[in-house]
Amino acid sequence: MKELLATIKENKKIAEGIWAITLTLPEKVGKIKGGQFANLSVGDDSFPLKRPLGICSVQGDDITLCYQLKGDGTRRIAEKKAGEKLSVLLPLGNGFDLGDAKNIAVIGGGVGIFPLAAVVEEHLGKRNFYSYIGFRSAGYACLEDMFARGGRLTVATDDGSIGFKGNAVQAFLNDYKNIGADLIISCGPPVMLRALKAALAGHGIATKCLVSLEERMGCGIGACLVCVCKKADGGNARVCKDGPVFGIEEVEL
Amino acid sequence: MAQLSVKICGVGFSNPVIAASGTFGFGREYNELYDISAAGGVSTKGLTLEPRPGNPVPRIAEGKSVILNAVGLMNPGVEEFIKNDLSWLKSKTTVIANVAGRTLEDYQGICARLDGIVDMIELNISCPNVRAGGMALGIKPQNVEEVTRLCKAALKTTPLIVKLSPNVESIAVNARAAESGGADCISLINTLTGMVVDIERRRPVIANNTGGVSGAGIMPIALRMVYEAAHAVDIPVIGMGGITCGKDAIAFMMAGARAVQVGTANFTDSYAIPRIVRETDEWLDAHGIADVNDIVDTLKLN
Repeated sequence: MKELLATIKENKKIAEGIWAITLTLPEKVGKIKGGQFANLSVGDDSFPLKRPLGICSVQGDDITLCYQLKGDGTRRIAEKKAGEKLSVLLPLGNGFDLGDAKNIAVIGGGVGIFPLAAVVEEHLGKRNFYSYIGFRSAGYACLEDMFARGGRLTVATDDGSIGFKGNAVQAFLNDYKNIGADLIISCGPPVMLRALKAALAGHGIATKCLVSLEERMGCGIGACLVCVCKKADGGNARVCKDGPVFGIEEVEL
Repeated sequence: MAQLSVKICGVGFSNPVIAASGTFGFGREYNELYDISAAGGVSTKGLTLEPRPGNPVPRIAEGKSVILNAVGLMNPGVEEFIKNDLSWLKSKTTVIANVAGRTLEDYQGICARLDGIVDMIELNISCPNVRAGGMALGIKPQNVEEVTRLCKAALKTTPLIVKLSPNVESIAVNARAAESGGADCISLINTLTGMVVDIERRRPVIANNTGGVSGAGIMPIALRMVYEAAHAVDIPVIGMGGITCGKDAIAFMMAGARAVQVGTANFTDSYAIPRIVRETDEWLDAHGIADVNDIVDTLKLN
């Protein structure tokens, strides 16, 4: 884990409201695991907080982070051009531990697909991925190629403008009997994760399921105790340090 | 290289830049990024006698050049801190235990528990308190004096810092109240109460609705208050509020602070503390000042 002044290699829109920024790191930061994230500076002193963004892809000394234009900070990041520098703290969080799993169901919704794409990329050719990624509509769809490379891909859209009409959880439920998954990994809005938890219980699916959570963060390294989630045992866990990946039964969603 | 060590109430700090409570945990996480013995000291995450779960999320929001937080004193309780973290942290740097409570008895109890085993104790009197009818003890001068006196009575050896809230009628009056109660030192400012609104949802961003404002944007207010407090009392002052660089630390010390604390800047730059120490040293060298203590209280008003 290091904070580095990285050089922007590319910063471009990849879907409606979604941008991808590729940064060249000036030095090695150690192994980056799929599901880990980076805390990216906005590069403007009037924004004291870094933005926690899922690492989407790692290519040598370059990393790609995807982000949704949500507020003034992310809009400011989108204005940055290739060659400019931004401070970035990484790699953060635990990432997805796939264990011995061979057939992995990947369920992602909206901006939740970004860290999942890095998992597929990391284990390319070594595991079979069955991906179900959901978007509001065709205009919001992105990164399909990254998931398609890892195995079978089902795209879902709420309005049916491309792929399966419905959400990623429904797409998975339609297919899970065919794939023999020994692990489920998921990331998406809380409403999607809650639906997934209910669906797994409802269908009696006992397959191990790991979910990655999102929360507003401060330090990003576990010191400030801002980004907590409730654990099923009643305690707190730090999303940035103890997570962001948890067993679906471990946390309250 | 200037002489950077400072002594406050007989307690030595290797340099005047201390990590502020609540932004630095018990130091372990930042120690993964750099050796935290680079910090003059660490003021711990606020400790209470019993573990506290803290507030609902979101606990943080951002304004222009500021952040807001409402963590709600989440901490593992003083016993866990003593058992798991204290000796490690002491091996690294000077340890200020930041403490809080719901009742006056809580404050006394935690002070008694930490007496003699930490370097200094810093009272957080900005949290809602039963005694003050849910209001913070730090608002009314008589409450400041009373909690200070009770805590001081519970301490045999460890010097007591009272951390002042800026959300008050007169910072000078409250500084004097802490001094009258027997405080060995005051630190200020704690956060200013504020709100950030998500206009699309028509709701405050923070679950607690209001939060404590900190960061570079509050520095002029903090600096004015540190100046006023430092000139109202004879005890030493630790200044904080929006420090992001060596020049900021120098300004606080010129205004009367014997040391400074750095909080929010740790989030913007994970290496803020060692950088601020280095920049302070560079400024002193560039100005031919051999000892950082020589700049304390050297501000001349117009």
